[in-house]
Amino acid sequence: MFDRPQLSRRRFLSNFAFATGAVATGVGSWVIPAEWANAAEGPIKVGIATDLTGPIAYAGNADANVAKMVIKEINNSGGLLGRPLELYIEDTASNESVAVGNVRKLIQRDKVDMVLGGITSSMRNAIKDPIVARGKTLYIYPQLYEGKECTPYLFCTGPTPAQQCDEFIPWLIKNGGKKFALPSANYVWPHTLNVYARKVIEASGGEVVFEEYYPLDQVDFSSTVNRIISNKVDVVFNTVIPPGVGPFFKQLYEAGFLKNGGRLACVYYDENTLNINQASEIEGLASCLDYFKVLTKENPFDAKIQAAYEKDFPGNFLFAAGSAATGTYRGLKLWEAAVKEAGKIDRESVAAALDHAKIAEGPGGPAEMVPGKRHCKMKMYTAVAKGGNYEIVARSNGLVDPKEC
Amino acid sequence: MANAFVAAFEILSFGAIIVLIVLGLGIIASMMGIFNFAQGEFVLLGAYITYLAYAKGLPIWAGMVAAPFLVGALGFVLEALIIRRFYAAPIVAMLGTYALGLIIRESVRGLIGGFYLTVPEPIGGSIDIGAMHISAWRFTIIVITLLVMGGCYLLLARTSFGLRVRATLENPSLARASGISTPLIYGATFAFGAALAGLAGALIVPVFSLFADLGLRFLIQGFVAVMVGGVGSFIGPVAGAGVIGTLSAALPWVMAPVVADVLVFVLAIVFIKFRPQGLIAGKGV
Repeated sequence: MFDRPQLSRRRFLSNFAFATGAVATGVGSWVIPAEWANAAEGPIKVGIATDLTGPIAYAGNADANVAKMVIKEINNSGGLLGRPLELYIEDTASNESVAVGNVRKLIQRDKVDMVLGGITSSMRNAIKDPIVARGKTLYIYPQLYEGKECTPYLFCTGPTPAQQCDEFIPWLIKNGGKKFALPSANYVWPHTLNVYARKVIEASGGEVVFEEYYPLDQVDFSSTVNRIISNKVDVVFNTVIPPGVGPFFKQLYEAGFLKNGGRLACVYYDENTLNINQASEIEGLASCLDYFKVLTKENPFDAKIQAAYEKDFPGNFLFAAGSAATGTYRGLKLWEAAVKEAGKIDRESVAAALDHAKIAEGPGGPAEMVPGKRHCKMKMYTAVAKGGNYEIVARSNGLVDPKEC
Repeated sequence: MANAFVAAFEILSFGAIIVLIVLGLGIIASMMGIFNFAQGEFVLLGAYITYLAYAKGLPIWAGMVAAPFLVGALGFVLEALIIRRFYAAPIVAMLGTYALGLIIRESVRGLIGGFYLTVPEPIGGSIDIGAMHISAWRFTIIVITLLVMGGCYLLLARTSFGLRVRATLENPSLARASGISTPLIYGATFAFGAALAGLAGALIVPVFSLFADLGLRFLIQGFVAVMVGGVGSFIGPVAGAGVIGTLSAALPWVMAPVVADVLVFVLAIVFIKFRPQGLIAGKGV
């Protein structure tokens, strides 16, 4: 016989409390304190709430990295209003209920002066109320999305349907054809985007042959591919998302869609999504975003931030437009400009200045908020996938209006 | 005519994929009475091993051959360490295997960084018959599924190993009394089921690309197939998988895909209501 140390109730409870504590605080909480502090007022606190874990962690981690980069850069050049910036990062974990709890921590415990984050629309809808209404804090949403978000104190710095369609769809009609198919995942972004896209397609002389919605986890698209081939569709304007999009493009390719001169189009496709398929399966795929890495060849500022990002964060999390990394950069810099103009940090003053904030340089070019609309004008680029990379084939003349609110 | 042929091929190929995935699940459920919720993750591991081979510059078919052996070996170890403790409590076994699956899934998600990664087919492109194009790799999958199915049937029905497995299933104490090492048989059966999942993962990864939820995606469909087919025999789950796979690929041809997705499950529930023992009742092969 031997005596095992008894697991007493007290011991169990204390272990249990530690474990639950660890689970509740999570490994996703990060604080990056300022290296110097102004004696009088202390640092300005920036909150980032993004998906560090879960299915879209690749995007969330890239956004958090961009925030670290921008905050470091601002601190190195003397901070804001003579005060340093302190960065608070919380995980939204691709789970709305976890996210709301963590965002409350940012607001109530850390008392941040601004929150930037959320990637999916459902996440934005879940956390906007705790931030803007109950939390009385400024909120910046950085991702491309379906539009129609007009909550006061909520500013959007990613592209809207108008920015992604107005110039892109006429280009597709010219460089693909008139017959469009709109295969889509069954959730809010494709539904709302398709309403807008259909309007632009019809106004530009094209026609929508079919618009169809699929369960989010559907991975077999044989009937869809068959309809596309037998209807002789020219352009597949895709809003099917991963995991379905890979098998879908592959089946289209195998059915000879590209061989027959068909054109793939997908407005969330960036450098991250190129690896879902073999390069030959998506040859000629067209996307329209505010930034592509290939712009670094012609635009020195883009080359500078891309190099700075890759130096600090080598690895898998790319600085790419589709994962809100560029929107995060733009959002933080616009907010910086607004705080400088306002000269103080309370929500009313910063929101008033952010309403018409401008930056001369950002990913893909300058950007400015449209006064009263809380959305952002920016340059848009149309790029085509060639041999596993993008080539810019068209660009907007100047800044494109978001046409929201 | 051409259209109907393409439709038939596509439906058949998806049916074959589901059968391939359900084979291992069905063998473990029928022969051992364990509902292995980690089966989807064994599929994922098979896919991941194939991807690793590709990423390291090895030929892809080498990864595909290695996958069932490695996943089978892992299954053998896991059975000895963990699953063995659950035979007396099948409900706890579900939770235990689910936890196991969760650990594997999230580890793989960490390893691949949450991305969706392509793995090329060893036999790519399409077979052209007139104006029709059918995927060469999907055709290969159909052929391999038929071979594996036949092989499994022969193994269970015609070999002495199969006889021991069935004896152990039917009456463990009598089997032990007759000199059969039942723990070894359980371990081997579980490893075999896991190896089949690994093979399925290796073969389907070029079709669906590699992502952490690859196995989870098919797990529910797999269990519905086992229920519809009937637990207890080898052929039951396979028949169920054929039905479920074919239905889920065929229904979107005639109705809205969102409706079809739900309808498959509704039909399965109605079927099980009127025939709880499944398509093929009874124990055996």
